[in-house]
Amino acid sequence: MSEPFEPKIVAFVCTYCTYAGADLAGTSRLKYAPNVRIVRLPCTGRISPMFILKALQKGADTVLVSGCHPGDCHFTAGNYHARRRWTVFRALLAFTGIPEERIRFSWVSAAEGAKFAEMINEITEQTRKLGPFTQYQELQKVIETQSTY
Amino acid sequence: MTRILLRNKLDDCIAAWQKAGFSVFAPVRQHEMSSFGEVQKASDMAFDLVLPERTIKDHFFPQTEPLIKYKIGKQQIDSETMTPPDRKRVFFGVRPCDASGLAIDDPLFGWDYKDDYWFRRRDNSVIVTIVCTEADDFCMCTSVKLSPESDKGADVMLRPLANGAGWQVEAVSERGTALLETIPSLLQENSEPTAPVPQVAEKFDLEKVMEWLASKENFESQFWKDISLRCVGCGSCTFLCPTCHCFDIQDEGDTYAGIRRKNWDSCSFSLFTMHTSGHNPRNTQSTRWRQRIMHKFNYYRGKFGVNSCSGCGRCTRQCPVDMGITETLQAISNLPR
Amino acid sequence: MGIQEQYRSEAAALLSSGEVKLVIGFGEGSTADRRRPLFARTPEEAQKFVLDAACIANLSTYLVTEGLLSDGKKVAVFLKPDGIRSVNILISEAQLKPDQVVILGYAIDKAEITALEGRNISDFSLGEEIRSHTPPPHILQEAERIEEMNPAERFEFWKAHFSKCIKCYACRQVCPMCYCRRCIVDVNQPQWVSTSSHTLGNFEWNIVRAFHLAGRCAACGACDRACPVNIPLRLVNYRMGKEVIDAFDYCAGENSSQKPVLASFKQDDPETFIL
Ligand code: SF4
Ligand code: SF4
Ligand code: SF4
Ligand code: SF4
Repeated sequence: MSEPFEPKIVAFVCTYCTYAGADLAGTSRLKYAPNVRIVRLPCTGRISPMFILKALQKGADTVLVSGCHPGDCHFTAGNYHARRRWTVFRALLAFTGIPEERIRFSWVSAAEGAKFAEMINEITEQTRKLGPFTQYQELQKVIETQSTY
Repeated sequence: MTRILLRNKLDDCIAAWQKAGFSVFAPVRQHEMSSFGEVQKASDMAFDLVLPERTIKDHFFPQTEPLIKYKIGKQQIDSETMTPPDRKRVFFGVRPCDASGLAIDDPLFGWDYKDDYWFRRRDNSVIVTIVCTEADDFCMCTSVKLSPESDKGADVMLRPLANGAGWQVEAVSERGTALLETIPSLLQENSEPTAPVPQVAEKFDLEKVMEWLASKENFESQFWKDISLRCVGCGSCTFLCPTCHCFDIQDEGDTYAGIRRKNWDSCSFSLFTMHTSGHNPRNTQSTRWRQRIMHKFNYYRGKFGVNSCSGCGRCTRQCPVDMGITETLQAISNLPR
Repeated sequence: MGIQEQYRSEAAALLSSGEVKLVIGFGEGSTADRRRPLFARTPEEAQKFVLDAACIANLSTYLVTEGLLSDGKKVAVFLKPDGIRSVNILISEAQLKPDQVVILGYAIDKAEITALEGRNISDFSLGEEIRSHTPPPHILQEAERIEEMNPAERFEFWKAHFSKCIKCYACRQVCPMCYCRRCIVDVNQPQWVSTSSHTLGNFEWNIVRAFHLAGRCAACGACDRACPVNIPLRLVNYRMGKEVIDAFDYCAGENSSQKPVLASFKQDDPETFIL
């Protein structure tokens, strides 16, 4: 019938660690799933929960948020602040019915190209099993149709 | 002798209207809120409400409505108008204040430009009003020269029978007559007495209020500042008002494609009048509250010859800080002159 | 002397001595069971104050009215413990100066109303009371019911409620903690939260509101009471409050010197969910 489902994954990463890690995965010629779209930001502290929400609304099936390991933040404490924020945000999304598996968090350093590649593969496979994230997409569809009365 | 509709015929009545191509709407309770919703049978309806929390306006002027779908290409811009479908509807069990609200807004949506979104729905809808048998502390229709048995905005009037078994039925417009022609066998001749209409006391002297508002020197009166001190500037009173009609046009989408929408807006919001420069001509809550009162009881009547208030009392009923039109107009009519 | 007469005369004294420029309290409402905020600037006006078990609103909202305290003068205000808690939060977020607020405190227990000792925020220690305070059983039950649902059911539950939202922003306007002069929903470059009140836009708004209040909510219930379409906002607030207690052992408004929970951290904060 329709085309097989290809997961769309959006990754918000900090430029100093995880982006560099992803870069290393590339230069080391590690193969990982092409399903991920990376958005590079200066620090995990800059990753607003709004980004995650918008990505889910605009069609992401899973969102990944990733940055430097605790203690390694280029700006000293951005990731500590981010960690608190995610803890709360994650609980909130779960409470409003967004399955926790749809939002993933990780620490990936500049040296962890292999971890990055493995993780993307794992998330892609998991998302493939979960299927598309339709809850927000359906609401989006409603917006695009004209009034029924 | 008049015609009556018995309560136990209501299911047949709904079925007959549906057969005639109508969708039937009535007050319902859903998810901890009362509003007008589509019904399939009599038991879906909530008859015990003085007034539903949400107004009938929602079904003629929705809180958000798509207008145009657009796509911006390299060579051209494509757009598609998203007008509502022609859907025939019966609104059953409308209170006189809600029905009047629609009639009050008609001239506004049609004076310089005929708003297709409003009139398509108006023209396809039949309003079946039920005369009130109960009023609460906030009802104030009589204060604005309407009444619990007003037929303004109605197509059919129903008067509850004293024995509670049904309603006396009377068509008050052509559309109403046509609607009753779809259910002749369900109506019967009868002379049962109707239930008494509640006494709704007049809460202020409207003439005095309008006179005070019309006087230019009162525009900057300290009165406005004092009365609006506690208003927190939410939009509840305007959004729940059957006659408030302000909207904002918003484009939702990105650089290449999107939808232009018509969204409710409210003069209670500071953003309502905010200029791009940052200047805000109504920069305090008192000027916004004054606008609401002035618009309803001065400007609107200046333009359309009618006040923009049908006396439903929702603004006071729902205000988180117990403000509202009633208190303000009472205070104005009691001001020393 | 009942508490109402006591506070009337105290308010009058504060005004006539010039210690405060304004007293914010309650007056009679439009019906017998309603009370409404009342602002007194003269001792005579203070005689109109009403204080009884129907005075449930959190008046601290008015303390952050633009310009009210910018002249450095003092204002007195009638507050229940949840209002005092809000004042603590506002002080800890640098929105109020402790010495500008004179508190006329009271507590309601069923129909009983009692005066609270102390006039300055530093006179009140709420820590114990807030931590040991369990929310009303109906909130606990409802929240539990939601926790027991699976994600799809939870989503349907909130969809039904959020679809009613009309974006009147009453919940924001009555909240003492929503003091931003430009709320994120009023920002349009970029427009993070759509102004349309369709269900998706309502999800955005309600999630943002809940998140912005996580670890800052004083649990006064003002938003929940204000919502004209009866969305159970109490439940999200309760859930967020529980999260910051469980995860960070943090309880908003215990005192006025705590650091806001999302503007601080511990190196060993839990991170079980991070890969
Ligand atoms: S009068 Fe009440 S409902 Fe209207 S804007 Fe003011 S606070 Fe909100
Ligand atoms: S102004 Fe108030 S009383 Fe008048 S129609 Fe609107 S909500 Fe009803
Ligand atoms: S009172 Fe305000 S929101 Fe209502 S119609 Fe007039 S200007 Fe618009
Ligand atoms: S008060 Fe209720 S309807 Fe109004 S914006 Fe808040 S959640 Fe929406």
